[in-house]
Amino acid sequence: MRTKSLLSLLLIGSFAAGLVSCGSKKGKNVTISGAFALYPLGVKWTEQYKTKTPDLRFDVSAGGAGKGLTDVLAGAADIAMFSRQLTPAEKEKGIWVFAVAKDAVLPTFSLNNPAAGLIRKKGLTKDQLKEIYLSGKNNITWGALLDTAYNSPVVVYTRSDAAGAADTWADYFGGKQENIKGTGIYGDPGLAEAVGKDANGVGFNNVAYVYDVTTSKKRPGIDVIPIDQNDNRQIDPGEDFYENADSILQAISDGRYPSPPARDLYFITKGKPTDPAIIGFLKWVLTDGQQYVKQAGYVPLTDEVIKAQLDKLN
Amino acid sequence: MAALLGISAKLTNRISTAWLNFAVLFLILLPLVIGVGLIVKSLPLLEEAPIGTMLSSSDWSPQQGHFGFFAFIMGSVWVTLLSFVLSAPVCLLAAIYLTEYSPGWLTQTMYFVIDVLAGIPSVVYGVWGVLVVVPLLADYVAPALGLSTTGYCLLSGGIVLAIMAVPYMLNMLMEVLRSVPIELKEASLSLGATYWETIKWIVLRKGLTGIIAALSLGISKALGETIAVLMVVGNVAKVPSSVFDAAYPLPALIANNYGDMMSVPLYDSALMFAALILFVIILLFNSITNFFLYRIKEV
Repeated sequence: MRTKSLLSLLLIGSFAAGLVSCGSKKGKNVTISGAFALYPLGVKWTEQYKTKTPDLRFDVSAGGAGKGLTDVLAGAADIAMFSRQLTPAEKEKGIWVFAVAKDAVLPTFSLNNPAAGLIRKKGLTKDQLKEIYLSGKNNITWGALLDTAYNSPVVVYTRSDAAGAADTWADYFGGKQENIKGTGIYGDPGLAEAVGKDANGVGFNNVAYVYDVTTSKKRPGIDVIPIDQNDNRQIDPGEDFYENADSILQAISDGRYPSPPARDLYFITKGKPTDPAIIGFLKWVLTDGQQYVKQAGYVPLTDEVIKAQLDKLN
Repeated sequence: MAALLGISAKLTNRISTAWLNFAVLFLILLPLVIGVGLIVKSLPLLEEAPIGTMLSSSDWSPQQGHFGFFAFIMGSVWVTLLSFVLSAPVCLLAAIYLTEYSPGWLTQTMYFVIDVLAGIPSVVYGVWGVLVVVPLLADYVAPALGLSTTGYCLLSGGIVLAIMAVPYMLNMLMEVLRSVPIELKEASLSLGATYWETIKWIVLRKGLTGIIAALSLGISKALGETIAVLMVVGNVAKVPSSVFDAAYPLPALIANNYGDMMSVPLYDSALMFAALILFVIILLFNSITNFFLYRIKEV
């Protein structure tokens, strides 16, 4: 009995000592929380930045854009990762918004589609896409869209979980995620999978998911619906930039691919950042950090945008 | 320990009684606290829109200020009913066979299978639904019936839920049927009843309250299940008109949107209201089953 109590005392003592030593460890903790879309890039950035500033520690977690913003407002996180448009109610909360990278959402169709060749050649116009994704009609046929005899109706798939990708795609037509009428599938991979399986399926995915960033090729099963931007019912050389990841990233960066559905991704802080550690990190992300953006399948910001963001920090 | 620290036995006794009371009180208060919390969080929405319209309208576009929950309520009700219809008869018949007819080794194997089924995480059932049930319905079942579906539909959700509810229902049903005293069965058989008649009139009747409790456990499980259903059910905010239509149950609505939308005050409140609706449905359902159980016990 006595040894037991002695042991437990020892245990409690060592635990307390551990706590104390933990607390006295040197270094500052920066907490980043928010959108799943920015999470891989956030991890990459913090890993790289840590090699320069060894006494800084980062804690990156993904729980959704709204979770990140809520955490920042409550003081539980220093920086929020944000991937959708801010609603008016959110803008009012005294937050500072920094664009850190660019991404785009691409409309997709199934490689099993018998009219695949024609879709690549003719593309779809913005009005046709709006009709398909937002009208909720289930009798729009490929034949009517492409002027051909293939008369199966288009089947629309969308994201079931609230996602920046869906919001941005709807924003192309002036809508919100809730306006896209289609079967809701959970997550980017699930959506690509469902579209690929259904010969008449259409959906949308982030660039980083449509193309495999390491090989620069499209993922198996799905292809991109080219957007016929000048409504002449064929994809002109100037509209044809869907070949591989490099060509589409270039088109997004120089604006040949419309925005939206290209979108900025943001870091958000509560009020103007005052902590030198956080200011330093944000500045690094906007300068040296931009070289890692492309590797992760996103588009680096233009110099003009970067300058505007840096001005906010000074 | 107590002796060592010099605490008298009386005091130890008093402390442990206090702890027991506290634990019970805590458990009793828990649903109340959850309910009150949900009501408080739903208040911003309730001030904005009349509750009757919200419950009866199925127009869901929260960013434009339309909060209709009817499609979600129907989604939850249908998917739960469907899973119940698919799983309850199978479970009841299997439980009768396993407790009354089957050889011992088979029953033992079944207990093992039940444990395995109960231990599989729900997201695995969801993945299995996407890989197996969805293509099966889209490519074979619906075309055979002359219909077309994406496979992400009410029936997929019902099937996945039914399979998930099986281990809970079957386990409890087997326990209930096993607990019927052997003397009752012997008396029935000695009066000339056949074995099946004995099961029908003695075992099932004696175990009725337990059977109802087991089945209602299955329903509660189906009502609250989130991720597995969400992955296969299609998530379209429209009242389904056939089992091959997509549906959108309440838990899926909350899980799909909470993380991304919790920073939009009214949207956040709407999701809390959805949780409150679910809470009330479960409360009502349990009150009704309890009432029936009470009536049966009285008779």
